[in-house]
Amino acid sequence: MIEVAALTKRYGPTTAVDGLTFTARAGAVTGFLGPNGAGKSTTMRVVVGLERPTSGTATVDGRRYADLPAPLRTVGVMLDARSVHPGRTAFRHLTALARTHGIGRARVDEVIGMTGLESVAGRRAGTFSLGMGQRLGIAAALLGDPGTLVLDEPVNGLDPDGVLWVRRLVRDLAAEGRAVLLSSHLMHELALCADRVVVIGRGRLLADAPVAELAADGSLEDAYLRLTPGAVEYQGRAVGEAGTTAVGGAR
Amino acid sequence: MTATTAASRRARPTAHRPADAGGPTLPRVVAAQWTALTSLRSSWWAAALTVVVSGVLTHLSAQASSVDPGFDPLGSLTSGVVLSQVPPLVLGVLVGTGDFSTGAFRTTYVAVPRRWPVLVAQTVATAAFALLTAVAAVAAAVLALLPSARSRDIALDLGRDGTPQTLVGMTLLLTAIALLGLAIGALVRRSVPALTAAVLLVLVLPVVLLLATDLSTDPLAPATGGVPPAVAVVNTVVAFLPSGAGALLTADVVVEGAPDLGPWGGGLVLAAWIALPLAAAALRLRTRDVV
Repeated sequence: MIEVAALTKRYGPTTAVDGLTFTARAGAVTGFLGPNGAGKSTTMRVVVGLERPTSGTATVDGRRYADLPAPLRTVGVMLDARSVHPGRTAFRHLTALARTHGIGRARVDEVIGMTGLESVAGRRAGTFSLGMGQRLGIAAALLGDPGTLVLDEPVNGLDPDGVLWVRRLVRDLAAEGRAVLLSSHLMHELALCADRVVVIGRGRLLADAPVAELAADGSLEDAYLRLTPGAVEYQGRAVGEAGTTAVGGAR
Repeated sequence: MTATTAASRRARPTAHRPADAGGPTLPRVVAAQWTALTSLRSSWWAAALTVVVSGVLTHLSAQASSVDPGFDPLGSLTSGVVLSQVPPLVLGVLVGTGDFSTGAFRTTYVAVPRRWPVLVAQTVATAAFALLTAVAAVAAAVLALLPSARSRDIALDLGRDGTPQTLVGMTLLLTAIALLGLAIGALVRRSVPALTAAVLLVLVLPVVLLLATDLSTDPLAPATGGVPPAVAVVNTVVAFLPSGAGALLTADVVVEGAPDLGPWGGGLVLAAWIALPLAAAALRLRTRDVV
């Protein structure tokens, strides 16, 4: 279970996360939504101890990540498909990671099988497509058979078959009693696999509710667009709008 | 689908197993870093190049001197050691920067959130790999002397005074240079700036300094018997650079105007060049976010 409480992260004058509080419960998939730059990835990096909060706390099963005695066996993490040395094969990457926790060869082979990477396990990760990189990232997250999973955009770059697979995988993981925190931009994807959705914008909590409740009058996408207009930092324009002075909130 | 059934067949994650079992102990992190180091082609290229450069340069140097009347094959033993330092230096830098120049640091430090064991493990793994490489490179240098020694019917006596120290010194020097590269790489984190800094410090700076004194001293000035002060200062500085200190490991050389550090003193100076940037890198890992 992940508990984030009054979490603030500042980089100099920039506030990336601003007093954020939410919980990702065991036995549920918690969707993490927000525009680009909303602070989702920053929050996830703080949760897994790569960054320290400016104030507030982030804990997993009641402990700070850095205090976990066996982090990989408690939390499975996939932050970015480019978290691999491109010169290392998928198998050796997973083996090196497994050895930090005394995890055996059998489990490495098992996660390679679970993620469908058997045929490419001997290839260097630098030759992988984005989708294969995502599968390798998910394999690494599953390695320690953890009770909590933190997945940043896991379906990014996957083919339809892969998207379906991730959807079933996270549902199964939650059904086994694990806590899954999953960020995505794909609204219909979250509507299908998440139990609860945490929406943030400009580092602040905008909504924290069951999917069914948020999508009660319309779709989850409608709810998201209703919640986030003031929080969108990077906004494109329709072709016909080129040259107009549309600002946030134009929707 | 096989993937999901395999996942669901696994035991409940937190119920049956103490969470403390199987954490990242130092020996495990060392094993992981050994796997990481040996799974990169660049490591093996560096090792092979070290051995080849050492053997070929020593062979060429011995061949060239073998026509001299007083030819001593063992006199050429260290002739390849300066350039054969380059591959271990590069190896160390690449181990030190590898995580941060690629994004693999996220995986590494998520697995070992205390962070410093990673740096210790990289040091141990690099030292072990470089030591094996250095032993092979020194063996190659000895073997490379054999043809020219045979051509003059001279037997190689490796037990002769000073030679054992030279052999051990060369091995330690090549290992230490790899660790110096690691320390610079771990501190700088980006490959190109780290490589540039390492090559400048180890190879370019001492040559530039020595050339500068050669140019500034007037060869036609009458010999006064003493060492010119400028030369003494430069020689002292060079003796405290990694290359100068390292050279003291391989032979009892007396550099005019420089303090006589001896092999142990030279080794300590070199160790300080490794320890200081490593300590700074460890401090940075400990106090700053890894991004």
